[in-house]
Amino acid sequence: MNTNSNSYTVIFSVVMVVIVATALALTAEGLKPMQKENVRREKMQNILSSMGVETDRDGAAALFDTHVKERLVLNASGEETARKSGEVKAGDTEDAFNIDVQKEYKEWKAGSRSANDINYPLFICDKDGATIYVVPLVGTGLWGPIWGYIALESDMRTIAGTSFDHKTETPGLGAEINEKPFQAQFEGKFVSDKDGTFTSVKVVKGGATNEHEVDAISGGTITSDGVDEMIERTLKVYEPYFKSNQ
Amino acid sequence: MNYVNIFVQSIFIDNMIFAYFLGMCSYLAVSKTVKTGVGLGAAVIFVLGITVPINYILENKFLQEGALTWISPELASVDLSFLSFIMFIAVIASIVQLVEMAVEKFSPALYGALGIFLPLIAVNCSILGGSLFMQERQYANIGEATVFGLGSGVGWFLAIVAIAAIREKIRYSHVPAPLRGLGITFIITGLMGIAFMSFMGIKL
Amino acid sequence: MSETTQEVEKVEEKAPREPLFSKKNRKLITDPLNDDNPITVQVLGICSALAVTVKLKPSIVMSLSVVAVMIFANLIISLIRNLVPNRVRIIVQLVVVAFLVILVDQILKAFVYDVSKQLSVFVGLIITNCIVMGRLEAFAMGNKPWPSILDGFGNGLGYAWILVAVAFFRELFGSGQLLGLQIVPEAFFSFGYMNNGLMILPPMALITVGIIIWVQRSRNTKLIEE
Repeated sequence: MNTNSNSYTVIFSVVMVVIVATALALTAEGLKPMQKENVRREKMQNILSSMGVETDRDGAAALFDTHVKERLVLNASGEETARKSGEVKAGDTEDAFNIDVQKEYKEWKAGSRSANDINYPLFICDKDGATIYVVPLVGTGLWGPIWGYIALESDMRTIAGTSFDHKTETPGLGAEINEKPFQAQFEGKFVSDKDGTFTSVKVVKGGATNEHEVDAISGGTITSDGVDEMIERTLKVYEPYFKSNQ
Repeated sequence: MNYVNIFVQSIFIDNMIFAYFLGMCSYLAVSKTVKTGVGLGAAVIFVLGITVPINYILENKFLQEGALTWISPELASVDLSFLSFIMFIAVIASIVQLVEMAVEKFSPALYGALGIFLPLIAVNCSILGGSLFMQERQYANIGEATVFGLGSGVGWFLAIVAIAAIREKIRYSHVPAPLRGLGITFIITGLMGIAFMSFMGIKL
Repeated sequence: MSETTQEVEKVEEKAPREPLFSKKNRKLITDPLNDDNPITVQVLGICSALAVTVKLKPSIVMSLSVVAVMIFANLIISLIRNLVPNRVRIIVQLVVVAFLVILVDQILKAFVYDVSKQLSVFVGLIITNCIVMGRLEAFAMGNKPWPSILDGFGNGLGYAWILVAVAFFRELFGSGQLLGLQIVPEAFFSFGYMNNGLMILPPMALITVGIIIWVQRSRNTKLIEE
């Protein structure tokens, strides 16, 4: 058989492409539920971690159901538009848990979504009898998206905890935002003044001096600024809600 | 300003060679003289500048979950991202081939200078790396992606020309025998990487 | 040279039971470990690997992925080597490798999600890992399946041990840990011992490889370059 003729080459290529494409599509479809489940559990794990409940990914789903009581969606003016409780249903787009804040943020940045159409989820949780409010954050670091959760205590101004994550920040520098030492600094800081006026937590260089400041990561200035910006921009939207419910 | 920022950062801070070791094989193999270094470096800039934006379109209009909505809204749930590796490498291989043919036809002089390097480039990790980083960093628009591609190319060019110049000189030094050639090149690259780290944190 | 002789002896012990490991076949595995190491001698496949060597665990997963991809890519290409049209053989090789890498990536995402997050784009970069393509073109295209599997395995291992060695030193000196477990005792720290933050940064991976090459070539003087 002449393996160098044109028709043979074409037939060979077509057969190869069909085989490879079928095999890949089958594997991808087969493994997709497990991959989606991993992503979902990680999200639960991060929410729990921000309020100080540490767990591994396998335990996340059960603990999430125990601790997270209600899932709210706010619009850009801080008004409640949806409220869910009980089990998270996969395709329910009104459920705060299913809102992809990163995707909406990206669309907003790219100009295909107006600032008024962004949804703001709020998780009302319960930890040892105390109510905790968890707000998802999303912003931009040095290289790519950064995201996280900030948990507020029942007075809606004391930070109970945070968790941040990233994909592409510089290892050893900006990447430190997903390490405990950086995240723990936020605990006990305040996001509003005593009279309830919104005053965000600042990530500052050269040492935090008051209850609205935490230390930036040395060498990770731009990532730190990103954290600073996303906390301020996001929490500002929730201010009216917090004020009216205080 | 964002463009300048991405450009400078991809050249100096997240340099393909010093920060991610991408394209090390050709970097080590073709850096014996400055002349070949310049040739390969230029080819890398060229190919990265073309393939990153093309793959950006591919990623955002075809592969991502929901990317196909411009054809029909019903396709919103189609997620082809598992095909991205194979599509990216196919695009790169065919672009390299096309570029080679085009350069040969329209500019024999440039072909003489770049020609032998182009086939090497399809398997240069920095090219595929450029596309994969573009995918992961989610650039907001095609302009940013192009600037990132070009910047990474320039960074790679800078690295290979610098090491080639050092290697030309180091021939006259007394390097310990077991370190000669490959060993000392690794160590010098490491030291250059440390020097490049001083650029970290620059924002324009 | 003591390490090498030990390795050869180990294989010889197995040999009587395993007739498939003829002397020539054994060489296919042992050569890449030292004399013909893909990283330190053939200068192949450094690209994608070193960036994952900050910690031992991702390096081990990365090594296993590369070994798996190499074995199967060599096997598949060797099986179809007489069917592949010469003109498109590079593309065919790329497709086979890309196919295997996608499988590995999907499996990692489904079963070891944390590690797949750490490896991020570097799994994808196995596609352009010069070792894989290099061995396909140089060996699998012209040899029978069984030697090709051995060749893939040997080169994969040769690549893996360098990767794991680099990661071992970087994690030990950089974070005082191995596989996430604290190795350097707390007492050291109270005497003023510090983790070397430089080891975590990318340039030290290159310098560590440079030193490994130095050690290897001073023991194996025939590898010294002019």
